[in-house]
Amino acid sequence: MGMRITNAQADAAAEHAVASLVDRFGGSDVGATVEHHANAHKMAFTRVNVPAQHWTAVAKHLRFDLGVNYCSMVTGTHYPEGGAERGWEVVYHLMRQPVVDQAPHTNTVHVAEELAGMDVPLELEVVITLPQGETPTVPSVQNIWVGADWNEKETWDLVGIQFEGHDNMHRVLNPHDSPDGFHPLQKQHKIRYHDFNEMYDDAQGFGRKPTDEGRVK
Amino acid sequence: MAQMWITMGPQHPMTHGLWTLRVKVDGETVVDTEAELGYIHRGVEKIAESRDFTQITPYCDRLCYVSAMTWANSYIYAAEDLLEVDVPERAEYIRLIAAECQRLASHLMWLGAYGPDIGSLTLMTWCMRDREMFLDLLQELGGSRMHYNYPRVGGVKRDIPVGFADRLIAKVKLFEHRIDEYEMMLDESTIWLVRLQGVGYAKAEDMVNAGVSGPNIRAAGVNYDVRWAHPYSVYDQVDWEPAVEKPTSVKGADCYDRYRVRMEEMRQSCRMILDAIEKIPGGKNTNYANGDEMILAKAPTRAPEGATGFSHYECTRGASQFYIQGGGDGRGKNPYRLSIRSPMFITIPYVAKTMIGYKVADIPAIMGSFDPCIGETDR
Repeated sequence: MGMRITNAQADAAAEHAVASLVDRFGGSDVGATVEHHANAHKMAFTRVNVPAQHWTAVAKHLRFDLGVNYCSMVTGTHYPEGGAERGWEVVYHLMRQPVVDQAPHTNTVHVAEELAGMDVPLELEVVITLPQGETPTVPSVQNIWVGADWNEKETWDLVGIQFEGHDNMHRVLNPHDSPDGFHPLQKQHKIRYHDFNEMYDDAQGFGRKPTDEGRVK
Repeated sequence: MAQMWITMGPQHPMTHGLWTLRVKVDGETVVDTEAELGYIHRGVEKIAESRDFTQITPYCDRLCYVSAMTWANSYIYAAEDLLEVDVPERAEYIRLIAAECQRLASHLMWLGAYGPDIGSLTLMTWCMRDREMFLDLLQELGGSRMHYNYPRVGGVKRDIPVGFADRLIAKVKLFEHRIDEYEMMLDESTIWLVRLQGVGYAKAEDMVNAGVSGPNIRAAGVNYDVRWAHPYSVYDQVDWEPAVEKPTSVKGADCYDRYRVRMEEMRQSCRMILDAIEKIPGGKNTNYANGDEMILAKAPTRAPEGATGFSHYECTRGASQFYIQGGGDGRGKNPYRLSIRSPMFITIPYVAKTMIGYKVADIPAIMGSFDPCIGETDR
């Protein structure tokens, strides 16, 4: 039979991470909570809300005290109508994986149900909310997780979040000669065929104009 | 001797897609590399913002044309997290069987493409022959050979057809013997061993820190697998264990270990499919009507304001992830932002750097052993 991490193990790991973060950063604006997914097995994860100025300190705590060794995804979101305090949001998805280097001719075969303490896989969602403005800026964590490097490049390329201290930032998915300030996932750029009604009214597209006509494309 | 930059790609047999590897060479030795991606960036994340949750599935199919089913499933789990849907168990079993058939087809495509890289042209024809069996099975489910649009939020599009189970069992049992044939051919081929062993070392901890995942980690000696570590579907109810290798060097896993782990993974997929088809709730020869509550749960079409959905999925090349922020403009019909984590997007820059110090002729062997797919990389 297959094995899996039980809900109790995931709960315990998430609660431990929250307790550790509250213990270290309690009193500052850093908030940590245990949340549960609504799909499949309703597994627990840890959501951390961090102000941008504390992110480097929190990242170091996660990496070196909680053993979070894997930066899987960086998501930037543009909220032009989110109010003064919430113009942009950067979400880091981080994982802890019980992976260690092996001596020759050996391997590590974990049994999920027997894992405990710092070996239990942990999932974190770190949310950094940024105010409205032209240049949303977050400190880079490229030096802590190598995996953050290209994720941050992509987030700058597509969304326009600046990563302070990132070495060798360049376009990755857009053409290298894209104009400065063009980041297609910002909300002022609309895609052209927007609604199916439009398609039916003018199936050939002769009367159609891009909705972002006149803007930087 | 003077050093110089040479450009491999975007059209090059090593690339397995469209991307460029710029290599700085000193004679035959690689001294620096640089990866350039983005040739087939289609803006799936942007397009998804104006599609409703069912309409996004076909775009996710097209993220990777050799493992469409796993990518569509991966998206669907995130949408179910966002919309808070419970899936019937029969649908979970069907998804598991479909995903593992896709894993077999994808690994066969990898082996079929890797063989000619190394110099074994026979592999291409053999693997295409066997991949066809699984494409036929998936065609019975989804209706087409490559892009199935099969999973739905809350279940699957339609039930397994009558007789599907018998054909599935016969083909998987046949294929289990074929894996032995492949191994007999490859493990006794001097060319195969010389080109793969001792080349492309990668250590487990380095890989995890760089964001590499999936079979590449298991080749380095740790049985970490999303299917048990961040469980989804019914993998805890069927008979399997994660494939894992014993690397032979302190420098980590070489290309040969990565080939071995994928062969073992194919065996485990066969084992899983044979067990799941017997245990499927409702019986393997029953065919429920489209939309029956055994295969499809009622799902809302609008996401609550401010809700988020996340999925972590063992795709064929590593861990894929979707993150959806819902409730845009108070409508909730479309995602406000959909973010895709592609395993190969993170792996390719890492692999480019592991090539430093090897010979130019080793580049196809190293790159191919990580199983690159550019469709999902560029999104």
